Amino acid sequence: MNRFEKVISRGKSIFDCKTKAEAARGLKSLRIHAGALFLLPGLIGFIIFYIWPFFISLGYAFWDKPVNGSFVGFKNFLDLFQNKAYLKGLGNTLRFIGISVPLNMALSLGVAMLINKLRRHKEPFSLVFLVPLVIPSGSMVSFWKSLFAYDGALNGLLRTFGIAKINWLDSSLALFVMVLIFIWKNLGYNMVLYLSGLSSIPKEYYEAASVDGAKPWQTFRHITLPHLASTSVLVLIMSIINSFKVFKEIYLITGSYPHDSIYTLQHFMNNMFSSLNYPRLTTATTILVVIIALFTQTLLRLERKASE
Amino acid sequence: MIKAKERIITFILFCIGLLFLLPLIVTLTNSFMAEAEIALNYTSELTTFDLVDGIVEKFQQIKLIPEQVGFWQYTQVLINQPSFLILLTNSLKITFPVVLGSLIVSLFTAYGFTIWEWKYKEIVFMVYIVVMLMPLQAVLVPNYIIADILHIKDSYLAIILPGIFSPFGVFLMRQSMKVIPPAYFEAARMDGANNWYIFWHIIMPQMKSSMAALIMLTFIEYWNLVEQAVIFIDDYAREPLSVYLSRIAEGRMGLVFAASCVYMFLPFWFLMLGQKDLEKGIELSGVK
Repeated sequence: MNRFEKVISRGKSIFDCKTKAEAARGLKSLRIHAGALFLLPGLIGFIIFYIWPFFISLGYAFWDKPVNGSFVGFKNFLDLFQNKAYLKGLGNTLRFIGISVPLNMALSLGVAMLINKLRRHKEPFSLVFLVPLVIPSGSMVSFWKSLFAYDGALNGLLRTFGIAKINWLDSSLALFVMVLIFIWKNLGYNMVLYLSGLSSIPKEYYEAASVDGAKPWQTFRHITLPHLASTSVLVLIMSIINSFKVFKEIYLITGSYPHDSIYTLQHFMNNMFSSLNYPRLTTATTILVVIIALFTQTLLRLERKASE
Repeated sequence: MIKAKERIITFILFCIGLLFLLPLIVTLTNSFMAEAEIALNYTSELTTFDLVDGIVEKFQQIKLIPEQVGFWQYTQVLINQPSFLILLTNSLKITFPVVLGSLIVSLFTAYGFTIWEWKYKEIVFMVYIVVMLMPLQAVLVPNYIIADILHIKDSYLAIILPGIFSPFGVFLMRQSMKVIPPAYFEAARMDGANNWYIFWHIIMPQMKSSMAALIMLTFIEYWNLVEQAVIFIDDYAREPLSVYLSRIAEGRMGLVFAASCVYMFLPFWFLMLGQKDLEKGIELSGVK
């Protein structure tokens, strides 16, 4: 009898136990740590709802049809990179991340530094920037719509200055509307991370710098920034993760087929869902998973280096 | 000098803050407008009076102060229109089980991670982190596949169950359990306490603030449900509020502001109660 069979037979005998104490002894002889009993229910659920179906979907990515299909190797991947809608979505997503993430990082650092300088009212001010984070996207849709519509209030305001109407949501400017809404919603998140980073910088450093007559820019460049390196990597990771969430607003404001400049990866996948194109959908998921996994691993390693 | 500087900073922050709160303030004040006033403000169609006055182009107007303050919208939304309340209960039916379930599952699982010296523990935890960092779109396809296999595609369970086992809660709870000094439970173990006792009487009292943070973050996420609703729910009557609000914005502009205010009341109230907890939750949710 190998060890595995032994464990199985002991496991069976636990169910025959008459008293609680006997069962407890039986469990001990199984050598199952109590910790495992706490861990396993959650882990099993996690495997059932995330890991297992992910491997099924990975399988679909290499087959031409979900049922009775034949193995096609990397054909689905090659096809996907020929697909115009996918390439557009991928390009737009990368462009959006490239613009919004650095901008959001800079602005949230700015706000965090201002709040950090305050002696009083720190809390109410950070509350203000946290509000957009908790407000559901659906409740702001009508405001954004009437602000940015072609006949909307913003164009009305511009007209009083004699500026011609701008088609905010239906031109390449839509990308900037998207960036604006993203920053409005996520600035508070980064601000909290930066505030906690700022508060961990020893005050003595700043005192020493001011004794030496350092200019504000020099203090920022040589004290604040280096100490925020590891926080910044963290903010970068979380910003990229959060940047995918802007889809909620964009979808609610502009629907399934928005202007070309804000047709993102998520729109593509959403529309694949409605046509239930499994091979294409799972291939797109696989690529996304691989990119995010590689990317975060690299950044996490960088973060560890930065915090040393 | 220092005082003047403080004043300038306060002023700058006040201005930026006002800009950030503007969408909310507008939504709130407009929710007290009567339907006729809303209809007048949010249209660009010209009336005969405009033509007589020689106005050739009109824009939607976002007005801050209502001409007459009234609760007409609220009585419509909360009393006369049962559809809104049905959709509000839909949102609750999804959010409440997820918040409660994920709290329990996350606490147990995280405690398991904390006390069990398992060889592959850190590798498994790494998998949790990778899944946690995946954008929703990457997770939805596996969610859909498993819902199909389990035949729960047409029920809220397709959204609720993955929510309960979501890796984020486990991550957050484990991070905050790490902060509790191991000496605490070593001492209890010396005194003969079992793991169950330690969990209830030593760990749980220390976790109050992190639990509040997890409840808030999960609540916000599922109260704001959009993507899953679009994919899993075909029936309009079973949709959560988020998707519905964007649709009534077209037809019934007169009600949308009050509906939005009712919808955002709960998360806003939670933020007021637990600002510190939310901030702590955000700090802990940063992967380290």
